[in-house]
Amino acid sequence: MESLSALFDGFRVALTPAHLGWSLIGVVLGTAVGVLPGIGPALTVSLLLPVTFSLDPTSAFIMFAGIYYGAMYGGSTTSILLNTPGESATIVTALEGHQMAKAGRGGAALATAAIGSFVAGTLATLGLALLAPPLVRVALALGPAEYFGLIVVAFAAVTSVLGRSRTRGMVSLTLGLTLGLVGLDPRDGQARLTFGIPYLLDGIDPVIVAVGLFAVGETFFLAARHGLDIDELVPLKGSLWMTREEWKRSWKPWLRGTALGFPLGALPAGGSELPTFLSYGIEKRLTKYPEEFGRGAIEGVAGPEAANNAAAAGTLVPLLTLGLPTSATAAMLLAAFQQYGLRPGPLLFEQEPALVWGVIASLFIGNALLLVLNLPLVGLWIKMLSVPRPLLYGAILVLASVGAYSVHSSPADLVMLGAIGAIGLALRLGDFPVAPVIIGLLLGPMAEQQFGRAVSVASDSVTQAFARPVAGSLLAVALLLLAWPGLAKLVRPRRTRG
Amino acid sequence: MPRPTLLTTALTVALNFATSLGAAQGGTPTAAGQPRLAEPVRTVAGPAPDLTIVAPAAPGGGWDQTARVMQQVLRTSGLAQSVQVVNAPGAAGTIGLARFVSADAGNGSALLVTGLVMVSGIATNNSPVTLADVTPIARLSGEYEVIVVPKGSPYQTLGDLVTAFKANPRAVSWGGGSAGGTDEILVRLLADAAGVPRSGVNYIAYSGGGQALAAVLGAHVSAGVSGLGEFAAQLESGDLRALAISAPARIAPATSGFDAATVPTIREQALDVVLMNWRGVVAPPGISRAERRALESLIAEMSKSREWQEALARNGWTDLTLVGEDFGRFVTDETRRVVPLVVASGGGARRDWFEVLVLGALVASVAAAGLQRFRQRAMEPAIHATNAPLNRRSLGLVAAAVLLEAALIVPAGFVVTSALAFTLVARAFGSRRIAVDAAIGLALAAVVYLGFAKGLGVSLPTGVFS
Repeated sequence: MESLSALFDGFRVALTPAHLGWSLIGVVLGTAVGVLPGIGPALTVSLLLPVTFSLDPTSAFIMFAGIYYGAMYGGSTTSILLNTPGESATIVTALEGHQMAKAGRGGAALATAAIGSFVAGTLATLGLALLAPPLVRVALALGPAEYFGLIVVAFAAVTSVLGRSRTRGMVSLTLGLTLGLVGLDPRDGQARLTFGIPYLLDGIDPVIVAVGLFAVGETFFLAARHGLDIDELVPLKGSLWMTREEWKRSWKPWLRGTALGFPLGALPAGGSELPTFLSYGIEKRLTKYPEEFGRGAIEGVAGPEAANNAAAAGTLVPLLTLGLPTSATAAMLLAAFQQYGLRPGPLLFEQEPALVWGVIASLFIGNALLLVLNLPLVGLWIKMLSVPRPLLYGAILVLASVGAYSVHSSPADLVMLGAIGAIGLALRLGDFPVAPVIIGLLLGPMAEQQFGRAVSVASDSVTQAFARPVAGSLLAVALLLLAWPGLAKLVRPRRTRG
Repeated sequence: MPRPTLLTTALTVALNFATSLGAAQGGTPTAAGQPRLAEPVRTVAGPAPDLTIVAPAAPGGGWDQTARVMQQVLRTSGLAQSVQVVNAPGAAGTIGLARFVSADAGNGSALLVTGLVMVSGIATNNSPVTLADVTPIARLSGEYEVIVVPKGSPYQTLGDLVTAFKANPRAVSWGGGSAGGTDEILVRLLADAAGVPRSGVNYIAYSGGGQALAAVLGAHVSAGVSGLGEFAAQLESGDLRALAISAPARIAPATSGFDAATVPTIREQALDVVLMNWRGVVAPPGISRAERRALESLIAEMSKSREWQEALARNGWTDLTLVGEDFGRFVTDETRRVVPLVVASGGGARRDWFEVLVLGALVASVAAAGLQRFRQRAMEPAIHATNAPLNRRSLGLVAAAVLLEAALIVPAGFVVTSALAFTLVARAFGSRRIAVDAAIGLALAAVVYLGFAKGLGVSLPTGVFS
């Protein structure tokens, strides 16, 4: 109850015209930077820090919060329409979302993403306001062994995206894992698979790989098939909005995505990618329309989109309650707090209640603003699909390359983008699935690091490292998920007979 | 696409304009009420010409912040007319260093931000270019490291921790930042001083300060090592306990927040270890003696300015100004001390089971897929006999567009290159109106450029328009 009245005071801070204005600027700016791959909320906040220094802290943070949430919206729009994920958290959205757009259901995909993000953002922000202190205690108790268990569960849950052929899926997955090896070994800082090229020492940026495989790879592929295939792209089929049926298929994934995203986002090493993969895997297993997955299933957009927005709110839990930055954006927000002489941490809620609750209230407001801004724009965005294809693909390439270039301000990133695009073309021509490459690249290094840490912490004993209740049960769940198809076959015949 | 981007552009530009106006008039919150320094205090020569500061890191980190704070201070104090910050991130700064040495040689108005992490990065990455290849200008600021334990830890003093460390080195785990960074260097120095062999050190590297902090708070590691600033809030609240600070003597008492003056130094606790995560600036090789003197006095003036001192306080940095030859000798000493520590870390036989596992799985799955294809072909030759034809011309045009972008973006600039790539791709997809496409491409690129480079300050090359 105490939090509720504090939140009410927060609304009084956030609802002043000036603060509403900053929130609006934030969400619009966030949407714009979310559209460009490579330019994300972290980079934007860091570039704006020097110029916002003259603002009062509350205005600045209200704007930054808007940028953070807005970027999640912008990233999903380009994922769906252009197959160009703007953020690593929206990579999964491209899998089903772009297929929906190609089949004329882009409007519904954008709507379910926007409404799902709103629902998830609102519920998760409520969670942030009410549950932050107890949640963070649980989160801190989880160590590397538990994270490793969680990542293995995610791997097991998404093996279903391996595609029709397990063997081919494994080629893609191990290719992704191999790309993830490139760079410095996170445990001892030694170079791996860098072939003496300094550029490769920092590894390959997942956003460049995603954009290279999806956007550039597809542009290559379509160019290679130009004039040989019939155009598959249907700008709009049926209603622009979600149908009754699509609403019915969306609301449960929204809630499940929120339930996954918020707690995982609050974990110090949870991040926003892990929940999107998990949500996708779960939706694919629970859906009544498994045959639609890979061809544009709305559940595959609704779930991950809710998950990434809920995770964004979850990230603020450790930041505001402990001063723990668990994502690049949170780290920039922390730097911003410090610039203002504020010390986010256990004492922030006591020392700066107006600021903290004002920011939390502005998250609700920013979320609502985003929904109000984005829903009417759906019609306009959809028109983009009617742009003649020569111009559409020209624009995709320009956007993909400006994003890739700005990651390191280096032309080498453009070479890498082209090379990954060529791999994407080869995979498509050889009928290998593309999504597992990304899964391997993102989850592989995470799994390796957490495994290494878990074993080191347990004084180099593997059995001791995982003989913990939570870690052990997570590994058991993963095993069950992997063995499920086989077990199901064993169980079913008996039932029919009996 | 153009409409919302235009809208954003307008807003961004308006925002930047409004806030820069605010900055000119209002001043900073910490400096509220104090008059701004009106007259430039530059005494040496006329105002410096255009200065370029290269931050060999992505926006946001300590080196980037140093560059951007310098930019602001040099501008507002009138010491330089125009200052440009360029980010050249990668490989602990060694990519930026190599580019700086080759591209800026002889340029008397360029500076590169450097620091302890670059010294160790040069060694671990076997960088062919080292800090001996640049002209030292000045050390500027730095941070001391603290060793902390969670509040429930049995270790009350550094002595307790070191006793346990000596008794069973692997049982004490140290959590800190990335491998080979300042935090690991400190743990290795401690191990040397305590007589523990380097191979026994159980150092767990976390990416980013937040994750290491979470590991200490959750008591997943025995002790945490990081810059004072990273732990200050949790030390203030009592969730962490500081055992020692890596400063040569106790630091000055703080007026607010956590008072680090209460933390004993490592030296006080009978181990002779001092370490600071210092940052400084260097100039390119091959500049004249006069240019070198000019840069040294410019930086010396800057570090004395009130704006710089305020920025140090705001960011929690310690003033470590050391200019010219002295700084050069300091860098040589640091290199001699740090390099053996980090080079030894990868010594001996490496058992990288993960690399072996992944590469093995890749080979196995490629082999399995090949075998499957071979079998299918043998069974149903009709289906797999013909390979689908490719439109080589279109594919070639798109590939050319990507390669041209990589080759031309720096010399010709973002706008021209993007328009060219746009036209080529449009042609590949069957458009015949080259002039119209070029115009559309140019317009799109110009809008993106205005919004992101001009409005937001993302560095995109200007090329022919510069």
